[in-house]
Amino acid sequence: MLHKTGAAGPSLWTRIYKNKEIYFLLSFGIVWYLVFSYIPMYGLTLAFKEYKASLGIFGSPWVGFENYKYVFQDKDFMRAVFRTLQINAGRMIFQFPFPIIFALMINELRLGRYKKVLQSVYTFPHFLSWIIVASILINVLGQNGMVNAVIRLFGGESVSFLGTPKLFQPLVYITEIWKSAGWSAIIYMATISGIDQEQYEAAEIDGASRLQRILHITLPGIRGTITVMFILAVGNLMTAGFDQIFNISNPATSKVAETLDMYIYRVTFQSSSDLSFSSAVSLFKSVINFALLLFADKTIKLIGGEGLFA
Amino acid sequence: MSIPAKSGSTRQKPHSGGKLRNRFEMMDAVLLVILTVWALIILLPFISVVAASFSTHKEYLETPLLLFPTRPTLENYKMLLADGRILIGYRTTLLILALGMPINMFLTTSVAYALSRPAFPFKKVFLYGILFTMLFNGGIVPMYLLMMELHLTNSIWSVIFAYGINTFYLIIMRNYFISLPDSLIESAKLDGAGEWTILFRIVLPLSMPIIATVILFYSVDRWNEWFNAMVFLRSNNMVPLQLVLRSMVIDASASKSLAATQAVVTKSFSDGIKMAGVVATILPVMCVFPFLQKYFVKGIMIGAVKA
Repeated sequence: MLHKTGAAGPSLWTRIYKNKEIYFLLSFGIVWYLVFSYIPMYGLTLAFKEYKASLGIFGSPWVGFENYKYVFQDKDFMRAVFRTLQINAGRMIFQFPFPIIFALMINELRLGRYKKVLQSVYTFPHFLSWIIVASILINVLGQNGMVNAVIRLFGGESVSFLGTPKLFQPLVYITEIWKSAGWSAIIYMATISGIDQEQYEAAEIDGASRLQRILHITLPGIRGTITVMFILAVGNLMTAGFDQIFNISNPATSKVAETLDMYIYRVTFQSSSDLSFSSAVSLFKSVINFALLLFADKTIKLIGGEGLFA
Repeated sequence: MSIPAKSGSTRQKPHSGGKLRNRFEMMDAVLLVILTVWALIILLPFISVVAASFSTHKEYLETPLLLFPTRPTLENYKMLLADGRILIGYRTTLLILALGMPINMFLTTSVAYALSRPAFPFKKVFLYGILFTMLFNGGIVPMYLLMMELHLTNSIWSVIFAYGINTFYLIIMRNYFISLPDSLIESAKLDGAGEWTILFRIVLPLSMPIIATVILFYSVDRWNEWFNAMVFLRSNNMVPLQLVLRSMVIDASASKSLAATQAVVTKSFSDGIKMAGVVATILPVMCVFPFLQKYFVKGIMIGAVKA
């Protein structure tokens, strides 16, 4: 932006030569992106090919939309799409507001040092893998676990939390909140700390109650961040947290746990896999996600909000 | 993440309600209770896991709400070591960490620095090309085929290269570099310093908070690595810690595994040994967590807020 590319400026080659060190620094990362990000992206063209191991991704013959005929005929696929959308709709309703409420509550807490301790506790689970979280769940929610011990203490009957299909979706939401609400709250807290303090003082002098200050200053102050997070969530409607679902599901719940990602995993790594078919499903997923992201961004801009892309 | 600006600016204006703010209202009490309960909900499962790992099997079965073992024992940990798989797990994961994290840092820092420099030809092409990968990716199928065609399957390098740059960390680091005062870099340039000198002598020493943050992030990511390993590595001698834990706890609790996970023979263990495995896997993360806390506030805030 400093350079003005006019007739008077140095030629393109001169400028490239002048920046040769920068290109050298870039080269390693760019090579990585090309090989491990862009070639796999190109690899999705397998969706329109018939994969032959001997010919590889590049050499396999094109077959047009042939693979999609089978994809859309597969009942399991349609179910997986529906289930993914359902779980993600649930996430939007139950999970999405949590970090926001959480950030507002932590922000209102006045005990400085205790607040820091609490925040450490809240963010910690984010740094654990879903394998660890699922292992902890097996202990805590198992027949012999803490939760069932409490239930029995109050005279109830123990519940198989991890093995009941009906409880699977609530389990998905609650465990995700347990693991990452504290972490997700950080981004909102960062925005809150950037709000002009004079607004609060002025409101206080005018006699606004604490709740009013939250509703009329803090919430509008983080509206932009909420919008961005919302758009990103919409752009992930077809992805339903593979790591989580893969680890907290088990044969008893496998029917209700087969989201699109789980479906792709199953059809790809089963014994007689058809990689063209899997690619077709993957591409479908990526394209829908991308389209949804753009759509959400456009819609938000139409109703006067700030979008993701300037 | 306390918010110093708030208390600081109220103190400057003695009129505007320093007293009001110090009064402990009903709302404070409610908040305190809710937030403390939430902290307990997060902490209790950990305490329960640690307690189970130090208890005898008998006590574990007989005490319904076990939070503190009466006769602590190391038996579970001995059995865990005797089994030996956890050692394979540690070895593999440490190898992935030791090889992977430096490569992550090298790739991320070099690109982040280059993209933080003022306009050079095709800068936008590179920048948007990189950002695009956050929105669209090939997924596991082509990645698997790519690894096969590169003959990297069953090699540790598949896991290392599959996760080279995390674009999110890259952007945060770049924003941090951009936020450094321009004059420092410009004056170094006038003195004839090249980009490498500027990067190593000026930018990196000034960016320690973000470097530390990203090192810790990558380390934790590497520590938690399992999916790529599950797909690309098929040898019993090369199983990362997370997958060892998975086969011990999750696969064992399900009668049959959902899909072709690692071909490790599932032996059934007592819950105490399983929880000892969980503790052994969490412990390193717990040890670096205080440092993470210390740096990511400084690092991430500056990097993210200026995005």
